[in-house]
Amino acid sequence: MSTNPLNLPAFQIAATDRSPHVDFDFDAGRLRMRGESYPEDVTSFYRPVLDALDKYFGALGTGDCRFELSLIYFNSASAKVIMFLMEMLDAAAAKGAAVDLFWYYDPEDDTMQELGEEFGEDLEHARFHLEAMVRDAE
Amino acid sequence: MTDNMGIDAKELYQLRSYLRDRGILFAYSGYVTETVLSGVGEALRQKLALEATDTKTVRSVFAIFVEQMQNIIRYSAETEHKDAGNARELRYGVLTVAQTGERYAVHAGNVIHRADQPRLETRLAALVAMDRDALKSAYKTQLKAGPEPDSKGASVGLIEIARRASAPLGYGFTAVDEDHVFFAIEARI
Repeated sequence: MSTNPLNLPAFQIAATDRSPHVDFDFDAGRLRMRGESYPEDVTSFYRPVLDALDKYFGALGTGDCRFELSLIYFNSASAKVIMFLMEMLDAAAAKGAAVDLFWYYDPEDDTMQELGEEFGEDLEHARFHLEAMVRDAE
Repeated sequence: MTDNMGIDAKELYQLRSYLRDRGILFAYSGYVTETVLSGVGEALRQKLALEATDTKTVRSVFAIFVEQMQNIIRYSAETEHKDAGNARELRYGVLTVAQTGERYAVHAGNVIHRADQPRLETRLAALVAMDRDALKSAYKTQLKAGPEPDSKGASVGLIEIARRASAPLGYGFTAVDEDHVFFAIEARI
């Protein structure tokens, strides 16, 4: 199954001190967000991200998607968006897409592991994977 | 010569000693904006890293700092229109981080409208009465509530503070003038 029926171009936002690196490679069906999330204006930071996902999932059909969240820290305003984003993933899976969500946590901080458990337990259709982060070179 | 430029060094030294005696390793007093949050937050992180605290503690202190600062920013922005004369006062916050051995305490204070005190007190009393499971489900309920009026946002922030703390939150109010009170909150980690 094609992962990118609309041939959407890759979507990327570089990381800042307060916002994550967003890297959506739609051709590969591999979507990643990593870093920290407590942007000054959560709504304006995430609006284009959610718009891109909306377009992608709208066309994905029964395609494959691997979504990787590797967040060190997010504030309560970002938590709301992440919850919403996970609901989007689950909705796409409910419509037939094969969605795998990987939630990577820093093994030195079990708060993010607990949050992963709490956020992940609501997924009914997407497959959820909770894994310790491997400190990589990137 | 100890006072060759005529200023009273003793006064500032006393302030420093006062903070030090209370174990305060970090203090901010002034206007709170997002830019201040970025800069002060970075300084706080560096300070905590120097204290060689474990990762989880550093992140919890930092997370509580972020929510407390953003609560002040949000509150002053929300209420500015009905109190234009005091807008500057409402943006003024005090925040301290104290350390006793391995334990930390974050205190934050700001001026609020007297009329908002009962609502805030009710909310805090409810939070203090919750155990970890109740806090967890309150957090989730608020996250799923969708974009609501801003006051809801403030309570997700308070729940986050309560969850990151290792003991129930402390809080108090003291009169400023007829229309305003000073609100203080304490989170222990």
